[in-house]
Amino acid sequence: MSILLEKLIINYPYSIAVVLFIIGALTVLTRSSLFKKLLGINIMETAVFLIFIAAGNIRGGTEPILSEGNPGTVYINPLPSALMLTGIVVSVSVTAFALALIIRLHRTYGTTDANCIAQMRKEVIDR
Amino acid sequence: MISSITTNLPVFVVIAPLFVAFILTTFARRIRLVEGFVIFIEVLGLTGAGILAVNVFIKNIPIIYQMGGWSAPWGIELKIGNLSAFFLLVVAFVSVPVSLFAVNNLSDEVGGKERVTRFYVLYLLLGGAMAGMAVTNDLFNVFVLVEVATLSCCGLVSSRNRPQAAEAAFTYLIMATLGSTLVLGGIGFIYIITGHLNMGFAYEELNRIWQNSPHVVWMAFSFMLVGFGVKSALFPLHIWLPDAHSAAPSPASAILSGVAVKGYLICLLKILYRVFGHTLMQEFAVHRILVLAGTVAIIAGSILALTQVELKRRLAFSTVAQVGYIILGMGLVNIKGLTGTLFYLASHAVIKSTLFLAAGAIIAATGKKNINELAGIGRKMPITMAAFTIGSLGLTGIPLFSGFIGKWNLILGSLESGNIIPIAVIIVGSVLCAAYLFPIVRVAYFEPAPEEDWKDPGFTQKIALIMLASAVVILGIIPGPFLELAERAAAELLMLR
Repeated sequence: MSILLEKLIINYPYSIAVVLFIIGALTVLTRSSLFKKLLGINIMETAVFLIFIAAGNIRGGTEPILSEGNPGTVYINPLPSALMLTGIVVSVSVTAFALALIIRLHRTYGTTDANCIAQMRKEVIDR
Repeated sequence: MISSITTNLPVFVVIAPLFVAFILTTFARRIRLVEGFVIFIEVLGLTGAGILAVNVFIKNIPIIYQMGGWSAPWGIELKIGNLSAFFLLVVAFVSVPVSLFAVNNLSDEVGGKERVTRFYVLYLLLGGAMAGMAVTNDLFNVFVLVEVATLSCCGLVSSRNRPQAAEAAFTYLIMATLGSTLVLGGIGFIYIITGHLNMGFAYEELNRIWQNSPHVVWMAFSFMLVGFGVKSALFPLHIWLPDAHSAAPSPASAILSGVAVKGYLICLLKILYRVFGHTLMQEFAVHRILVLAGTVAIIAGSILALTQVELKRRLAFSTVAQVGYIILGMGLVNIKGLTGTLFYLASHAVIKSTLFLAAGAIIAATGKKNINELAGIGRKMPITMAAFTIGSLGLTGIPLFSGFIGKWNLILGSLESGNIIPIAVIIVGSVLCAAYLFPIVRVAYFEPAPEEDWKDPGFTQKIALIMLASAVVILGIIPGPFLELAERAAAELLMLR
């Protein structure tokens, strides 16, 4: 038990990522507000970004910019950071598009609650 | 000039649609020009895909293209083997008739002429991303292309000028982003334990060291399966699909149901067989999960389709069932089964596009959405309904139509793997498919028509329907080289060569 706890504490970025991921997934699946769903998606994506960044990090390492005079320096792996830059761009565009859709839904239905929208649409169909 | 085009053809088939998509916006108001340009690019894409496929087919060695001259594992690699050539052909072929169908036919559905160009921009982006999924050999590229495809799919759904389209697009966007986040997580786990993003190198490393961290491999498997399962609408993760595919404009429904879903399935196939490999799949019993998920999807999707009264919704639920066949075949892990899966994937792409385009033409002409209101439409709109009937026969799996060959190979594959249940499910699925499609045909031909003036759609729309319907028949009668290509792709996936 104590070994497990120790592992969780030493690898704290991964533990935090798991917690964040669960928070995000729960928010997406259980909240009916469209904004909260969007926030949940963003938290989930951040958790995955954190996993990548943590995988590329080396404790005590520096940014991989070659300079003269310190041949023994340990560099972190820059590739995951570069990949996550792309990931962040993707996540921003998803957020922008989702916000645009929320504005359009708000104009039509006057609310941003998924349950209210579903109910209003059902009433329209019943009539 | 010519030689530089042919050597760079693998990257041109991906880049050209993406590039043209953004050029289109500069002359957005001249719709005729935009439409002509889009069709020109699609035909060019088909030619390019044809050249690549013939090249691969004759030489029987994969074309490897290194982006920017950097060799793997440092650079990004495009690899056109038999599988990529096969899927490129499917994408390029289906795109041509769908864009022909959209000519002069969109402004009602997207709400105004100035919005038509936006539709085409998204359409080309989707085409480029699909071509990219076919040729890429790099895991992170898969994620980026999946996201490009997802965003353009959502855009296509929301381009319909109805409030429910925005709602469907939002649900789709949330679910699909959930899926791609899971995919990214899966890619992350593979990268963490192997240190490679190139599929070939990741495969070698993974099969060497997987015993050290079986739990991470498990996580990667499950993230990939659920992620791509959401995106390709595997039952019970399909909840976004019926709304999204029935709310979209008709050409968009055709391309979404016909091709977009298949792109994610091809990515899943590539990752399962080329990154994990079939030995690892069998070690972790993933193939059993795939067969189980497939059988459940076939039965549940068919029953759900049977309960729908709206034409487009019934077709959308039918897609859920058909995805089941493809997933089932992936889990059979033998040449016959994989050949069947690939051929079925191609035949469903063609058939579902035919059905959605015919349904779109019917709805546009009559304004009726429900199946029981379509009495006598077969006599008023003969060409449309003939295409719809050919599509229905093909999807059910009647011999001489393309669906039959796919299902036949799937059945042979299940026999080879010694599993009887999939065979029963495939047959039951076919019967259910007949049960939800043939009533439409019966109502259309054998019930008295009302006194209304319904007509076949315009000239280009007719050409599009005839092209797709004849492809269904031709693939069914002389599958020849295409089936051969699928067989070689299956052998390639199982690494038998």
